[in-house]
Order: sequence, then structure tokens, then C-alpha cells
Amino acid sequence: MKNFNEIELLSSYLDGQLNASESKRLETRLAADPELASVLNDLRAARGILRKLPVRKAPRNFTLTRQMVGLKPPLPRTYSIFQFSTAFATVLLLLTFALNTIFPPLGMGGASGVAAPMAGGYGGGPTGSGGGCDTCTEDQALQSAAAVATEAPAATEAPAVAAEILTTATPALEMQIAPTADGTLRETEPTADAVQTPKEGEPESFAANEEPINHNAMIPAVWQVVLAVIILLSGLAMWLARRSAYRKWQ
Amino acid sequence: MDETSLIQSAQNGDLDSFNTLILHYQDTVFNTALRILGDEDIAQDAAQEAFISAFRSISTFRGGSFKAWMMRTVTNACYDELRRQKRRPTTPLEPETSDGEEIDSPKWLADPNMTPAQQSEADELEHAIQHCLNALPTDFRTVVVLADIQGMDYSEVAAASKVPLGTIKSRLARARLRLRECLRGFEELLPASFRLEGESIQ
Repeated sequence: MKNFNEIELLSSYLDGQLNASESKRLETRLAADPELASVLNDLRAARGILRKLPVRKAPRNFTLTRQMVGLKPPLPRTYSIFQFSTAFATVLLLLTFALNTIFPPLGMGGASGVAAPMAGGYGGGPTGSGGGCDTCTEDQALQSAAAVATEAPAATEAPAVAAEILTTATPALEMQIAPTADGTLRETEPTADAVQTPKEGEPESFAANEEPINHNAMIPAVWQVVLAVIILLSGLAMWLARRSAYRKWQ
Repeated sequence: MDETSLIQSAQNGDLDSFNTLILHYQDTVFNTALRILGDEDIAQDAAQEAFISAFRSISTFRGGSFKAWMMRTVTNACYDELRRQKRRPTTPLEPETSDGEEIDSPKWLADPNMTPAQQSEADELEHAIQHCLNALPTDFRTVVVLADIQGMDYSEVAAASKVPLGTIKSRLARARLRLRECLRGFEELLPASFRLEGESIQ
């Protein structure tokens, strides 16, 4: 048996990988060494058998589909603009919510002129000792009380309305008018209703009085609505562009 | 459209161009996978994986022989499959006696269909060669499949296998020698021309 270097040389010779001088030298040796020639024939035979292997036809086509390679249709250029505007508007909208939440004093400060009389209406007035806003006037208190009264469902009759306004305005006012009101109300039935109505109307008064606070928030609600509309419209445009691209692609 | 243009289009994401290339190379790729793996179904899977992988990485093709590049892709897919098989071993190829010793000549047991009465001479030869190929180490098998079955030259085989040219020469010589030894056991199945050739070397 020949050593492996000789076998490698024979294999290369078989494939024509030797240069002219190497080939000539090997051919001389092959002529003189029958064992070497036998190994060469073995290698040639092995190669010949391999080349006799039939070439199988592929049993099926291996062509690829877009799904197989995860290809997506080319989207129009406007898609990226809508994408950016949606993302930007979303960030801004979240920012407005965050600012309005983080800095409520700013919002409340703006609303204090309106909110304080209301607080005074329940706990103390501008002239009373219960606290609230020192700069508020009685007119403001009355105006806010009147606004509350117009929304109260039970306040349909004038005396009742008047009583309600007075009872929800300020204790100070209530105290001033009370004797007069007591005098008239004792003789008529609506008195009880008029007295009880403010108690039933209290939650509604709270709800109604929260709105001015929102209007005076750091970022006005109208901006939030505008941003939400931009997000919705951009999202819709993106969806339409994508759908159209997929349809064209198919 | 020539191959270079198809490759360029495929690099720009044109799947149709790449599918044209697939139609041109699918027989070669499938045969390579079949000879390395020795199983038609697994070879189909490996060929499909190779084409998917080739499309995804076609941007990395920097010219040269596309066939060699494609062969490297399918060879990698075959190696992946062989590694998977190693992790999930199946029935051993070498049958054993009741004493646990390997049977000296397991060729008939390894492929019970390989009887002259049942199959044509061509099929028998193919089975014999595949049996001997399967007996080779994977690296040797890959080189011999690319060089002797696919007819690639040494430099192409080196590019496809990512091993130096000297290693290709060495592996090919060893693989041919081993194959010749293995095929001696199938002398009676070999075509007359080969038998005569074999006798002449004695």
C-alpha cells in the first residue's frame, strides 16, 4: 500500500490538478511501479462509479412564495409621513395628559376664581369665615349659584329657586335671608321641597362645577381633541395605503 | 435574461428573478442534498431551506461562481439537518447480532429493497453507491459529492466548503479510496464495464 501523499498525488493527477512537470514525473513512476498504477486505477474506478450515478430530477419545484420568505409589499412614500404624524400626534397627546396630570395646580390656579366661590357656597363664603377665595365677590358667588340653580331639576318655582340659590350660595347670605324666607315658607307647602332640593341637587352641583376646572387646564381639551382626530385620520390613511399596496401586490 | 441580471434583480428583492434561478439550479441542489443526506424527503426539506436561506442572504453574494455559492448554502443546510439528526438519534445503520456485535456485511440488511430481482440494475447501483457514500464521514462525503457527482473543480469545491484547497485534495483522495474499498463489496451489482475495469486493476 502506498503512503497517503502518493495517493493524494494520484487523485490530483486524475483530476488534472498537477502541473506539466509534476505530471511527467508521476507518469514515469507509474510506468515503473505497477502497484502505483493499480492504486490510480482504483481511484479512477471510484470516480467513474460516482459519475455513473443517475441525476435525479427534483420531485417538485422549490420556487419560493412571498410568504415563505416573509416579503412585504412596497408601501407608498406617503405611508411613512402618515406613520410619523400618527406617532408624533400620539406622543403629543400623551404629553398633554401627562402635563395636565402632573401640573394640576396650574389648572386649579386658573380656575380658583370660579372654584372658590363654589367652595364658599358649601363651606364658607367670601364674607364668611369658612375660607375660600378672598378676592371673590358676592356677585360671582351669586352667578355661580344661579348657574347651579338653573340646572337643578327641582327648582322650577320661583320661591324654590330663590331659596335654592340662597341656600347654595353662601352661609352668610343664607343667614341674612333666612328670617325672611322662614317667614314666607312656613305658610306654604313648597317650603319643604325648597329646603330639601339643595341636598338632592348637591352631587349635580359638584359635577356641573367641575367643568370650569377642565376648561382652565394647562393644555386645553380642544388641543387633545385635535390631536386625537389627527391620530385617527393618519391611522385610517395608513390602513388604506397598506390595503391598497397589498391589493396591487397580489 | 442572463444569470448575472437575474442575480442583480434578486438582490434588489425581485422574487420572480430568484425563482428563475431556482428553476435552473433546483435539480443540482436537490441531488447534492440527496447524496449528502441519503434520504429523499429530508433532502427536499434541506433543498427548500437552502433556497429560502439563499434568497435572504443573496445580498452577501459578491460575484464569482453562483453555483459554488448555492452549493455552499445547500451544504450548510445539510450540515444543519445532520446536526439535528445527531441530536435526535434514530435507528443505528449498522445492524448487530444477538451478542451485540456488528454484522460484517450489513449491506442487504441496511437496504432490504436492494435485491436484483426487485430492482433494476441502475437502482441497485445507486443504492450501492449511496450506501458507500453514507459510510463516509460527512466532510469527505460533501467533498466527493461536489467534486465527483456535481463535477465542480477544486477551487469551486473549496469555495463551497469553505476549506483550503489542500484539504479538498486530501479529503477527496481519502474519500475515493474508501469508496473504492466499499464498492468492492458490491462488485456483482456494478455494471459490466466497471467490473471489467475493476478486474483490470488486479
